Parts: sequence; structure tokens; C-alpha cells
Amino acid sequence: MAILVNASTRIICQGITGRQGSFHCERAIASGTNIVGGVRKGKGGSRHLGVPVFDSVDEAVEVTQANASVIFVPPANAADAIIEAVDAGLELVVCVTERIPVLDMVRVRHRLNTSSTLLVGPNSPGIAVPGVSTLGIMPQGIFLPGRIGIVSRASTLTYEAVDQTTRNGLGQSTCVGVGADPVVGASVVQCLEKFMRDEQTEGIILIGEVGGTSEERAAEYLSSLTHRKPVVAYIAGQTVPEGRRMGHAGTIIHYGTGTAESKIGALGEAGVAVVSSPIDIGQAMADRLPSRQNTYA
Amino acid sequence: MYLFEYQAKELMRQAGISVLPGAVATTESRAVAAAGELGAGPWAVKAQVLAGGRAQGFFSNDRHLPGVVFAETSLEVGSVAQSMLGSVLITPQTTSEGEMVNAVYIEPAIAVPQEVFLAMLVDGESGQIVCLLSKKGGQNVEQSVGIDPDSLIRSNLGSGEMLTTEASLEIAKKLELSPSATEGLSVVLKKLHRLFIEKDLSLIEINPLGIRQNDALIALDARLTVDDNALFRQSKMAALGSRSASSSAEQIALREGFNYVPLDGNVGTFSSGAGLAMATVDAVANCGARPANFLDVPPVLEVSRVKQAFLLLFSNQKINCLIVNVFGAGIMRCDTIADGLLLAHLEAPVGIPIVMRLAGTNSELAISRLEKSGLPIQFVENLEAGAGKIVDIEGQNGNTSTHPSWAKNAWLRIRNLI
Repeated sequence: MAILVNASTRIICQGITGRQGSFHCERAIASGTNIVGGVRKGKGGSRHLGVPVFDSVDEAVEVTQANASVIFVPPANAADAIIEAVDAGLELVVCVTERIPVLDMVRVRHRLNTSSTLLVGPNSPGIAVPGVSTLGIMPQGIFLPGRIGIVSRASTLTYEAVDQTTRNGLGQSTCVGVGADPVVGASVVQCLEKFMRDEQTEGIILIGEVGGTSEERAAEYLSSLTHRKPVVAYIAGQTVPEGRRMGHAGTIIHYGTGTAESKIGALGEAGVAVVSSPIDIGQAMADRLPSRQNTYA
Repeated sequence: MYLFEYQAKELMRQAGISVLPGAVATTESRAVAAAGELGAGPWAVKAQVLAGGRAQGFFSNDRHLPGVVFAETSLEVGSVAQSMLGSVLITPQTTSEGEMVNAVYIEPAIAVPQEVFLAMLVDGESGQIVCLLSKKGGQNVEQSVGIDPDSLIRSNLGSGEMLTTEASLEIAKKLELSPSATEGLSVVLKKLHRLFIEKDLSLIEINPLGIRQNDALIALDARLTVDDNALFRQSKMAALGSRSASSSAEQIALREGFNYVPLDGNVGTFSSGAGLAMATVDAVANCGARPANFLDVPPVLEVSRVKQAFLLLFSNQKINCLIVNVFGAGIMRCDTIADGLLLAHLEAPVGIPIVMRLAGTNSELAISRLEKSGLPIQFVENLEAGAGKIVDIEGQNGNTSTHPSWAKNAWLRIRNLI
């Protein structure tokens, strides 16, 4: 099994008729993703990419029994699109949109507090379950069904980890990009928890980057486990020198966290194998797993 | 988007926050006249740059001149202004290259019995606007809070609805000021929170917020940052920004939607995806070479935008070699990168060596096109090999003899890898 998505997940796309939405949904459908409909206000009743288009998420859910959505709506309207999906009671919402105003996401997070919807993103490459489903913009052709769960804050570096674990035969159970914005839905820790419970996942790769506290929280969570799967991490931004700063608040809000040094230190103390170069991720994972046939491939 | 102090104070004034009267000057004579208009001295002459730490800063052509100077006479105001204008100020919060001062802000110099620190910003973890308060306001707030973390009072301000008077009073009380100063702080908090939301800010910092003898509060310094992603609905803020984007490269990057950060070195970097772009900067720095920039070109279909990104890098005269690190995936294909580079070459012929690592979608097609072009490109399999090539090129240029402090020891590590 994978996490978050499986073959029976019924997916709609908000913004399916747009250029990005069309491009990625077409590829997802062609590779077997269960996209059952799309939403675009004003285009309800039409069909696009072979699936029905609805004016609202409510209508789409009523007709298609969708339980997940992937959002390709421009930044100005993306927060409303997420809230519409939450209001419609979807279990999973993946938001690809970049450059959503941060105060809009503050509003979204407030709405999520009183719902059971899990939001992945925004500014996320999405979720890929190799051989089953692609929600978002992750590329085709680099995945291999397999043993490793990947959770990432950085989109293109995710593909590096995927590529390496495909080449060395380990393969992936599920690959999740939690999104690179300061305020996102699902946290790295939530993904780690799901991977720890997932039977197919034998090892976990965590791709982090400087800023925020996700990696420090991940280290706290991993330290709290008595028995756990091996975790390999890479943190981008290790030598990025400090650029221009505005005042002190950004530094003192989470004093002593947020730097690559703090993240690498915390993860290392939690027993995570932190590699210093992204080219070592795949090998470091292989070194920490018993060698055996990848039966999922 | 950063705002200058004088812009931030004008916004605060409009929001009903008390600030000192002040005047902007871009010439010596205007500075002298402004001092006169502001009344009797002494005055503070404050260099307008988009970074903090000015009082601890110095000018590149006068190491003894800080970015904030107190002047006793209007003539002195003029001479300080003249020294600052057109000079480069380096502070702990600028890059080591510093920032050109094009304007000074002149205010009456006042002393207040107490200074506190106040900030509002969005906290990613809680997903809320957070207010930070500390009695240890002033230049050394970072150190003070580091030594005594309990001196920082942190309060969640909710999710975007306006603060109630009761809520802001509760927060203000935590600073344990006199009753009338607490009352005043509560009002300031409410007004600032409204300003934060109405103007789509991502940071308000007042350090120090002065508390006067009569318990009145006054914002003695002000930093505001506007959320770049909200500029589409904040046209007045965007207009302020056109005056404050510090370099033309940054302006181009902002317009084209590239994530671009100028750094101090001479090795240009080009990547797609912020994480990969950071990993690229890391690899260059780990080799002891000095990255000239961070550049993340978001996945695009249009060759013209890739071309713009290359032109942006080529316009930097300091760059003497370039590393391109792209994993083609999704809509970002390697052949788009190749074509963008070739188009850029037609407009600005490539005169520097380029090291390229192209992987993923259409990488072979891209490499074959570029190989036919005759451009001085070396192709490498992975990032570390690319960084090694950069070291070779830089070595020939004699640029790796001194390593920046943040790259020390890394040299040996990378040497073992390549």
C-alpha cells in the first residue's frame, strides 16, 4: 500500500481547463490516474480530457463521488479554491499553485483546523504513487514502484532522489512534496508518521532545506520512536551565505533553529543519516536496507 | 518586498502610529534645509538602505562613519548627509558588498527612558500572525534574547480577523509596563495588526519602540516587508517598491518571476527549483569557489523566459564562469534550457566558460544541440563533477586562493569526493 492515495481514490482537478491543469492532467490520465472530473466555473456541463467538467466542487462531488482534488488555480483564487474543496468535505487536497499570498494561507490553515481534510501544499509538486497515481506535476518516467517513501520540501531535488532510487532498484512506495511555502498544510512529521505505519515503505528519504522548523520537528518526532525505519536526509542550503536581512524578528522567532547547521545537527542526533551531497542519497538508503528483491516493481 | 524606513514610517503615520517628524533628503543642501524645518537640533541623520543594523554599520569609503549619525548643527547634518549620499553602507544585515545610499532621513534626535522591541510576522509552523515583544529592545536584541529566551514574549494574533480591544490589551499586559504605557501599547498593537492585514505585510518590526517620560509610545525605527505574492492586489505598495528594488538585476528577476539572490562571488549559478538551486550554490561553495548568485528559474514552457534568465546572469560583469544544473521534469525540459541559452548567446555572445549538468527530460537532445553550437561548454554527469570543473576554471583565474570563511574546511571534503 501507499500513503495518502491509492487506486480507489477518486480525484477531481480544480482548474482542469487551464494550461497547466490540462498539461498535467492529460499526462496523469494517460498513466492511469483515476481522475473522475474537473471543476471550472462557467464551464460546467462540458467535457475536457474525456472527463466531465463542473461549475463547483460540490456538484463534482455529488456526481462523481470524488474524495480528492488537485488544484491548478492561479494564485489570486487558489485559497478560495482550497477552501471550496475543504467545505465540500474532500479527504485530500493537493495544491500545486505557487505564489499564494501568505495571509491567504493563514486563512486556509484556520479553515483546516475545523475540518478533517488533509491539504498537501501549496507550492507542492504533488504526490506520486508509482504505477498508480500522480496528483500534481511530478514527471512521468522516473518512478519505479518499490520500497522507499520520499517526503520533500524541495520539488526538483525530489526528482533527484526518485531518479537515484529507481536506478538502484529500491523504487518508491509514495513520494510527497509538502510544498516550499512558509505556510503549508500537511507537515513533514505527518508524512513521516504515515510512512512509519505503511507496510510497503521500508526506508524513508527526507529532503529538507534551510528555513522553518520542519526538520527540527521531524528530528523530535523520530527521536520519540523506539522502533523505526531507517531515514536518510539531505538538507539544501548548507552554504548559502546570509543575504540581506530586514531586522531581527526572523532570526529570533525560532531562536537557534532554521539554519542548515541546526537541522543537520538535530537530525543527526536523532539517528538520521544526513548526506552532504544530493548525489549520495540513493546509495545511503541502499546501505541501510537489507538487500533483497524489490517485489513491487 | 522591503521598504525604506521613511516609507515604512509614512505608512505607520497614516495608520495612526506615533512617529517623529522627519524629512527625506537626497542632496546636502536639502538636508541642511530639512534640519532647519524640523526645528532646533540635535538631529539624527539616517542612511536609507533596505537592511537593518545601520548603527553598527560602516561606509566602504569611511570605516568610521556609521549608518546613523547624530548631528548638533544643521551644517553638520549637511556634511554627514554629503558623506553618506552616493556611498556604500555595509551593515551586519547587508551582503559584504553593502548597499548604495541614495537618500538620508533626518529626524530630531530624542532620548527616551525605555526602549522595547516589537515585531509581527507570519509563523509558518502555527500558520498564524505572531507578535513578538521584548523589554530588551535596541541594537543587541538578538544577543539579549539568545542569552535570555524568556525575555521574548510571543503571542498568536489569530487568523486574519481584526484584534479585539480585550485581546490586544491581554497581549500588551504581558510586557509588564506601567498601566498607561500598557494601554498605549494595546492601541499600537491593534493598529499595527490592522496595517499588517490591510497592506499584506509579511513583517513589521519596530526596534526600538520608545516609551517617553509621559508613557507615550513612539516608533523610533520601522521595518516593513510587503508580501511579494500579494503585490497584485496592493498596487500602492507595488509602486513604492519600484523605488526600492535595489538593483536592476533584482528588478528584472522580480518582473520575470525568477527567485534571484545576488551573492558576493564570481561563479554564476543557474538552476530550476529552489532546492536544486541551493544544492548548486552549496556545491560551488564547498569547492572553495565563490557563488555569484542564487537563481531558481521556475519551470516554464517559454524559451524566451529561459533566455531572460541567462541574459540576467551574463549582465553581471563579475561572473567569470557559469554552472548550470537542471533536472528536466514535468514542464521543464532540458531542450528549453539549451534553446534559451542559444538565444541569449545571439543577443549577448557568451564569453565565459560554462559547466552544465543536464539530466531528465530531453537531456540528450539538449546536449547534442549545444555541442553543435561550439559554445565553451563542458558537460558533466553530476553536480560534484561540475563543481570540480568550476574549481579548475577558477584555479586558472587565480580566484581560489582565499576561501571565504563559510567555505573553510569544505575544500578538503569536496577534494575527497572528486
